[in-house]
Amino acid sequence: MSVANAFTSGIRRVNHAPSLLVGVWLLTFLAALPLGLQVRAAIAESLGASPAAGAAARGVDYTWWQQFSEEATGPSKAFSPAIVGGAAVIDNLSSIIDNRSHEIAVAAAGFTYAIVWLILAGGILDRYARNRKVGSFAFFSACGGYFARFARLAIVAGLAYVALFAWLHGWLFDGIYPRVTANWTVEWHAFALRVSLYCLFGAALCLCNLVFDYAKVRIVVEDRRSVVGATIGALRFVRRRPGVLALYLIDGCCFAVVMTAYALAAPGARVSPWWTLAAGQAYLLARIWVKLLFYASEVAYFQGSLAHAAHLARPLPAWPDSPAADIADSPPAKD
Amino acid sequence: MRRLIQVLLVASCVALPRGPLATLSLGGEHPVAPSRSGGFSNVPAPAGARSARNANYAIEVRLRPATHVLDGREVITWRNISRVSTSELRFHLYYNAWKNNRSTFAREDRLAGFFPGPLREQDLGWIDVTSIRLVTGGPPVDLTAARRYLAPDDGNADDQTVMIVALPRAVAPAESIDIALEWTSKIPRTVARTGVIADYYFLGQWFPKIGVLEDQGWNCHQFHESTEFFADYGVYDVAMTVPRGWVVGATGTERSRRDNPDGTTTWSYREEDVHDFAWTTSPNYLDRRARFEHPGLPPVDMRLLLQPEHASQAERHFAATRAALRYYGEWFGPYPYGHITIVDPAWQSHAGGMEYPTLFTAGTRWLAPERVTSPEGVTIHECGHQFWYALVGNNEFEDAWLDEGLNTYSTARVIAEAYRDANRLDRRFLGGFVPYVFPDISLDRFDDDGLADYRRAARVDLPSVPSYRYWPNAAGTLSYSKTALWLHTLENYLGWPTFRACLATYFDRWKFRHPKPQDFFQVVCEVSGQDLTWFFDQVYRGTQVFDYGIDALRSAPAGSGDILEPSGRPASKRSPSGGTCHTQVVVRRYGDGVFPVDVLVRFANGERVRERWDGRELWKAYTYERRACAVSAEVDPGRVLALDVNPTNNARVVQPLARRAATKWMITWLVWLQDLLLAYSYFA
Repeated sequence: MSVANAFTSGIRRVNHAPSLLVGVWLLTFLAALPLGLQVRAAIAESLGASPAAGAAARGVDYTWWQQFSEEATGPSKAFSPAIVGGAAVIDNLSSIIDNRSHEIAVAAAGFTYAIVWLILAGGILDRYARNRKVGSFAFFSACGGYFARFARLAIVAGLAYVALFAWLHGWLFDGIYPRVTANWTVEWHAFALRVSLYCLFGAALCLCNLVFDYAKVRIVVEDRRSVVGATIGALRFVRRRPGVLALYLIDGCCFAVVMTAYALAAPGARVSPWWTLAAGQAYLLARIWVKLLFYASEVAYFQGSLAHAAHLARPLPAWPDSPAADIADSPPAKD
Repeated sequence: MRRLIQVLLVASCVALPRGPLATLSLGGEHPVAPSRSGGFSNVPAPAGARSARNANYAIEVRLRPATHVLDGREVITWRNISRVSTSELRFHLYYNAWKNNRSTFAREDRLAGFFPGPLREQDLGWIDVTSIRLVTGGPPVDLTAARRYLAPDDGNADDQTVMIVALPRAVAPAESIDIALEWTSKIPRTVARTGVIADYYFLGQWFPKIGVLEDQGWNCHQFHESTEFFADYGVYDVAMTVPRGWVVGATGTERSRRDNPDGTTTWSYREEDVHDFAWTTSPNYLDRRARFEHPGLPPVDMRLLLQPEHASQAERHFAATRAALRYYGEWFGPYPYGHITIVDPAWQSHAGGMEYPTLFTAGTRWLAPERVTSPEGVTIHECGHQFWYALVGNNEFEDAWLDEGLNTYSTARVIAEAYRDANRLDRRFLGGFVPYVFPDISLDRFDDDGLADYRRAARVDLPSVPSYRYWPNAAGTLSYSKTALWLHTLENYLGWPTFRACLATYFDRWKFRHPKPQDFFQVVCEVSGQDLTWFFDQVYRGTQVFDYGIDALRSAPAGSGDILEPSGRPASKRSPSGGTCHTQVVVRRYGDGVFPVDVLVRFANGERVRERWDGRELWKAYTYERRACAVSAEVDPGRVLALDVNPTNNARVVQPLARRAATKWMITWLVWLQDLLLAYSYFA
């Protein structure tokens, strides 16, 4: 299967499963809501009966904001100007790529969300691999069926990511970068170097992510039990097919387009909160759509590239039925 | 040649103003001033001099870039303008602050948490005075053996930033002596705004500098991490030899430039009535010129030494300098020198944001958005130091707040005038390189981090403690933020015309002199016609914290029996249909600082009642019987008390919008958090 076909197939698969998109968005919203309500309560308490609330409701009362930030505890510590408008996405991107730590409450929420995502990933990949409607029962069955394997894979992936952030990032940005630029006096030269290192680190990160994505795909599509085997298989698959990288790059461009568009068009602090809500959630829907596109296009590419994905892993179509079995029933899935 | 040197030196040392010493060459025997009758001489400041000119320098220095070494020699003509005799001289040797990792500077740096680690051998700097000779009267007297180091502030034996030299006999008041020194310096990797990085050199505090003799004795402090400098005024003639093709900028104006056979160029600069001399050199500077002209103020030639990567920001530097020269000139007094040099320091040089007479370093970034006042803020601030510090020469070791505070206050005022619509908040991301401007967040005179900074450390130390002895890291808060806030408060309290007159009087009375805090207080009290001791006692001699707030606002129809706390119910609907409304306002002093404040109560029918409270008691209640209920109460409605650490509690309304605001900001925050959660899911 060509990269373009896999990409368009991925788009179709995501679009044909809108409930997944909405479900993930809802999950993301609900995961953030408890902390959001905490922050809301803290803001309301801080403003009290002060007329500063009026200024804050209409726009920004920066005097109050500074005071609030100094007194903030828990998730409210993360209530900084960086949340306003397009800065929000730049801040989050920067926090990842600069390896900045987050407030404990926020980090805990992120960790919990990642685990929930781990649970759902099996069901999502299963749905895209089947490329047909499945009921919620089958979806959650698949989630449960693959969770143990995905959890084991997460340990392996976690070790890889820890190595990347603790070692590679530290080496690049705390070792090489300051050493090389120590006597540089031209800022844009240093910025160019930093961007190069971002690209290097980003490439390592993406490669790692790509391998573990395909490991998940192989676990689901081939019903693999061994995560080590799946990871090695994914490595082999990535190594032998440059199209994998091209597809990832195309998906990544979609992500960049969505993020850039929002960064440029995000509403500021003076617009109606409902417009902020609408624009923000529309952006998040688009972002989730892109994230699902990664999965769907990777599944499509894998299924279209490897013959045994359709023919060899062929368990009985019994519960929990494997997507390979589905494909075996109606081979091969041509989009 | 040697004879010529002697003649030139005599001309420069004896008859002020002197000529340049560009023809002197380093490496030969040091020229000696001829003897004068009676040994030490009595040389008064020349007529027409703006300052006492009692510390005059003729310096020659050669830069050896390959080894980062300066070879220098100087003749200091020093006159004792105190009422006491002295039998010793004290000199600052600032470069020895980086001679080792045990100096007072290094120790204080570690205490403040700034110290990244021990300085590497190649980054160290030092100054080694190789020869000291008394060259006034009779044959030169070699005093080199009589030198020793002193640590008057902390007794640190490892600190060699103060050198003491015993004299063969005392110098009486009004007597003058000439001292010739030779030295070699290793230029440190840029630290504390001086040093070298790559081929960028900024040389500040680079030469042996005589201390200030006061009636109480020598005022010659060691180099401290959190404070700056203090010196007497004089005339500086400096010849700097650097590789040919390198650009030089320095205090004063260029008098001559001469190419030498050895591939170097000697630049000669001169300035009168200044208390310091700094210079910079690099082959990379862009040299731009412009002129400041404004009705009622003397013109000023501006020279900008710019980093090539900031070429597009030249006009921003000039515009900011113009704004400073204009507003400071109009408000306080004209800038008298007629020329100023703005240095754009190299990236990572740590030389930005520093003031020297007629020369200052600004500081900008490669990406510098228009609506953010950078480089404007630092340019105005450092240019402003020409007034507060270079002209009004307070002791920065002991009373740093006197120039830093006044200048921070003045800078904020200039920015408010000149950049009213262009002072937005920004944050930098991606390694601190990429700026993001928040168009909806404007900064005002108080928001610019001053109040937040002060609030965090309001009680950390007494401002009246000598600045060099402040609690580590407290200098910024006390000297800059707190002082600026209480100056804003004074302006609001006295009114701008009165306060401007205070500052203008202080400027005029103390320019080219060394004022003490009491001199400033005295001028303010005198010009305002008020005894403000109660205020200065709290903000300067005390650590009182100011916080006034509305404790309660109750308003209900008379006889209804219920007392209304702010409830969110529209006050107008609770207005009495025919009777009166009973309103009670309780104002509270939460802090220990006392300041008279206004209390403003607004009623639903548009009526306003303004009360004056002396602010002494812990609380004060006001009750009203009106035809309408109250809608809001506010203490200090004009925000006179800029020092109030909690402005949010200054007012209460009966229709609070807190929930609406909280919902709005929760929505905004949620988008940010959801985006972050999705970022986390990348790793799942």
